[in-house]
Amino acid sequence: MDLFELKTRAAAAIAGTALAFATSAWANPYEKYAGTTVVISWPALAHFNAAEGLLEEFTEETGIEVEVDALQYLRLRDRQLLEMSKEEGDYDIASWVVMWKGEYVSKGLLTPLSQFFTNGSLVDPQFDIDDVADAYLQNGGVVGGKKGYMPGKSGALYGLPFGAETSILAYRKDILEEQGLEVPTTYDELREVMTKLHEAGIPAMTSRGQTGHQVTAGWLLHLAPMGGKIFDDEWNPVINSPEAVKAAEFMRHIVKTGPKGIETFGFGEASAAFLQGDAALYLDTLKIAAMSRNPNLSKVDGKVGFALHPTDVRCGSETGGFAMGIPANSQNKEAAFLLIQYLTSKAGDQRMVELGGDPVRISTLQNNADSFEDYPVVAEQLPCADPDWRPLIPEWNELNIDVLGQALTKVITTDDPIQPIMDEANEKAREIMEREGYYSWAKYRQ
Amino acid sequence: MHGVKLSGVTKAFGATNVIPMMDLHFDEGEFVVIVGPSGCGKSTTLRMIAGLEPVSGGQIFIGGKDVTWAPPKERDIAMVFQSYALYPHMNVAGNMSFALRLAGRPKDEVANRVRKAAELLELTEYLDRRPRDLSGGQRQRVAMGRAIVRDAYCFLFDEPLSNLDAKLRSTMRTELAILHKRLKRTMIYVTHDQIEAMTMADRIVIMDKGIIQQVGTPRAVYNSPDNRFVAGFIGSPSMNFLEAELAGSDELRVCGKGFDIPLSPKLRAATERNSSREVAIGLRPEHFSIKGAGGSQSSLFAPINLTVDVAEYIGSSQFLAARIGDQPITASIEVGPDSAPLESGEYLFDTNRMYLFNRKTGAAIA
Amino acid sequence: MSIRALSPYFFILPAVAIMVAGLVYPVLQAFYLSLYDWKIGTKFEDAPFVGIRHFIRMVSDENVHESVWVTLRFGFWTITIEMFLGVALALLLEKPIRGASLFRTIFILPLMISPVVVGLIWRYLFDARIGWINYYLGKVGIEPQVWLGNADLAFFAIVFTDIWQWTPFIFIIVIAGLQALPSEILEASKIDGANWWQHILFVKLPMIRSILLIALLLRLIDVFRALEVMYILTGGGPGRATELLSLHIYNRAFETQQLGYASAISVLLILIVFALSFGILVAGNPLKEKSDI
Repeated sequence: MDLFELKTRAAAAIAGTALAFATSAWANPYEKYAGTTVVISWPALAHFNAAEGLLEEFTEETGIEVEVDALQYLRLRDRQLLEMSKEEGDYDIASWVVMWKGEYVSKGLLTPLSQFFTNGSLVDPQFDIDDVADAYLQNGGVVGGKKGYMPGKSGALYGLPFGAETSILAYRKDILEEQGLEVPTTYDELREVMTKLHEAGIPAMTSRGQTGHQVTAGWLLHLAPMGGKIFDDEWNPVINSPEAVKAAEFMRHIVKTGPKGIETFGFGEASAAFLQGDAALYLDTLKIAAMSRNPNLSKVDGKVGFALHPTDVRCGSETGGFAMGIPANSQNKEAAFLLIQYLTSKAGDQRMVELGGDPVRISTLQNNADSFEDYPVVAEQLPCADPDWRPLIPEWNELNIDVLGQALTKVITTDDPIQPIMDEANEKAREIMEREGYYSWAKYRQ
Repeated sequence: MHGVKLSGVTKAFGATNVIPMMDLHFDEGEFVVIVGPSGCGKSTTLRMIAGLEPVSGGQIFIGGKDVTWAPPKERDIAMVFQSYALYPHMNVAGNMSFALRLAGRPKDEVANRVRKAAELLELTEYLDRRPRDLSGGQRQRVAMGRAIVRDAYCFLFDEPLSNLDAKLRSTMRTELAILHKRLKRTMIYVTHDQIEAMTMADRIVIMDKGIIQQVGTPRAVYNSPDNRFVAGFIGSPSMNFLEAELAGSDELRVCGKGFDIPLSPKLRAATERNSSREVAIGLRPEHFSIKGAGGSQSSLFAPINLTVDVAEYIGSSQFLAARIGDQPITASIEVGPDSAPLESGEYLFDTNRMYLFNRKTGAAIA
Repeated sequence: MSIRALSPYFFILPAVAIMVAGLVYPVLQAFYLSLYDWKIGTKFEDAPFVGIRHFIRMVSDENVHESVWVTLRFGFWTITIEMFLGVALALLLEKPIRGASLFRTIFILPLMISPVVVGLIWRYLFDARIGWINYYLGKVGIEPQVWLGNADLAFFAIVFTDIWQWTPFIFIIVIAGLQALPSEILEASKIDGANWWQHILFVKLPMIRSILLIALLLRLIDVFRALEVMYILTGGGPGRATELLSLHIYNRAFETQQLGYASAISVLLILIVFALSFGILVAGNPLKEKSDI
């Protein structure tokens, strides 16, 4: 406890006894909301489980009660949509996967954070929003910029990143050393390392591969570095481009050289394969670092090294994970804001690291670089994090699951030529975009 | 002449000895009724003959062949069950022809035999019906038909009439008797109803507690029961038993409270071979008569005092619920249809038709 | 009509009311919803009316065709094998032999497990990397298979799992039916000379025919309702190899948020189930058959 905090607490105690006489001016910014209960909806994931400790500290410090509704993250969206579309919602804070933000805002379900940042009695002057990793903030919190989900002047802030992530390469130091292999920095090197591992009888890289959004997520990780996109600037799908086909071909290579069963791996299975020593490489979320240090999950603690997401034609890592904001129908918006601010403040971010979570601030990454091998890598990776690595439009779900999820399953479970598969998928994607009216401007101009 | 033979057959269910030991022979073409109270082992005996129940010991021969361990279908038997046991999903013709079809007989032979059996049992117009569309009596006939078409060496009947009403039952009894005359097959018939036994059987086997009490023609078991159980079981209404003691030395008498009857010479001789003086006397209800009735003055008729509780009028006779001393008895007395209700007083009893039993062993003294 | 003639209808009124509230209303609601393009999180009043456009789309939607085909194949294999196994097991364990009741209890265990747990159990058993099945296949020298990642193997896996879970259902119904059979009829058939298989084929099975039909009907309806196990086991994948119609509807409704379209497909599902059930009822009429003898 630093001196400042001690003083505040002492002051609060004195103010408490004096409350009967004082009529105006609150003794501390939280006091007005003491006793209210803030309800949070968030996923039952490691970072958030760790955050429950911080919530207790928050309640102790501020007197604001917190109630958590933790759900499996795939079930979160239905529940939140249902709750937030009621007249008066039960949720005061919702934590969303970044891809849902467009849908939430377009349906008018979130409160713009400008409402709170304009309120001097709520905002902590020391909050320093510029210290929050920009890629995280833009990707998780800003809605309405370019293409509706990217940074831009038309954008507005709806949430702050919490449990946000990018991708890095995790590798087994012992295995690479034993095989005399260098840590790959490019996709060509990565490909070769995978082949060599496979030839040595070692399952190379794990990946998500289950039909639906999982296999698509696996593929997208490679699409951005290879220079591919889902849409051009006119919303024409380009998932049959040479880059996209190359990324699909790379997925096939992963499945052929990787551990058995990638076709069925979701996020949990893919991570488990690495953590239990059944794969030498892992190229996905940075969360693998914290998981590899958790003795309940990991058999490979101490053997894992971290490196930048390999580059191909450019550097590009994912931006994902979660951000949190305040539903439009929340009944305790100010208290909710105070909690969000508390969790993402410098002190809160540092506490999250101590509790085993992932930081969102550059300063936190720098301050803890000596303790965690992955932090310097993440700090270096973040400028490459690509907010456009996947389109966050409402139609993305259907494209993601029904179109790409199906096509890529075909890619990794068969030996059929890839180009025709992706051509067909591109056509289906176009039909959906057509159906949803994305080409009406183009037609109008003709 | 082989027939059916049970040799030293025993049956136990777990620790319960149902049939301790049984030797029994049925002549070929004979109609034998096994009768006894429920639980006496008669059905078990039949089921062992049928092969539905394995024996615990001993041997069974049918037609001279040892079938002790043969399955039912190799025993050349047909069986009629109490519940008829018709196949509900087959019509009458199907039910009757099932065994023949299983045996793979030619179609026209099957049709022919079913037609003949149906004619015999007057079922011709019902051949296409399902069992559920038939009356109880018709179902019973189908069950018989099913047995008849088999033309088996031996027919087994397990209380086949007990689900029918009284009138139908007596009709079916007659039909069965006629059937037996025509088919001339060995028939073994199990029932608890002694009237069925008396009316149909060539011979009756009376069982109690797994033990054969007596085997004989209906006349023999009625007139000379071997023991008190047989005496009480055969005859309707059943025999009255009075506790009594032998008295006197020269002129032997049986005495008890309210009676004192001299013994007939035949019984007197029998008692001399019997050490015990504690006896039960058996008096059949139909052997009582009123004083002064024709032919009842002979010295063989002994007077006896009856205290009448109820006199039931049933036409040509009256049925008395009465007491001798303090022992209850029933009597059926022929008095003609116009008589007044009988009252307490002195009646006669035919001492020639009196039975004596050893009170301890129940064995007849004769 | 007199009061007397109407009174039976009066007495079935509560049953009819519950039927309407519990069955007819939701079906009508589903149909109503299928006429709109509604997304969760928006007001239903704002959802655009699209008429029968969803139905038109459905008729030419290859994914729906594929899903119906998967469901029919799934139903054919599971029900055929389940009926055969269930009846066979019931015939084997019907006799009160020593240990039969223990076997019976073990056999019905899968029925008592929640479908979600069944899905999880088998997902881990079939797991390519850590699953027991691959482990034991490896012991006898068989290459590990990616059971849930290959279209044919995954289809086999869901059929196998369904058989594992639902054979006991047939078993339990059939054994109840067999045990209720009057013993005298069975004995009569032995005396009539039926051997083991004739006894089963010509006497026992025809006598429990209505029970078999009802079991068949229930299983058929269940096949079209099956969701949880496949959802967890394969999620419908790989591709749509195991995406049964009900899972297809679920995925359309909740994964891709096309509630109206999903409702249209569920109307199709109701029609298919209705047609099949109606067919069985007309062909077999198990409800008319009264117990006789």
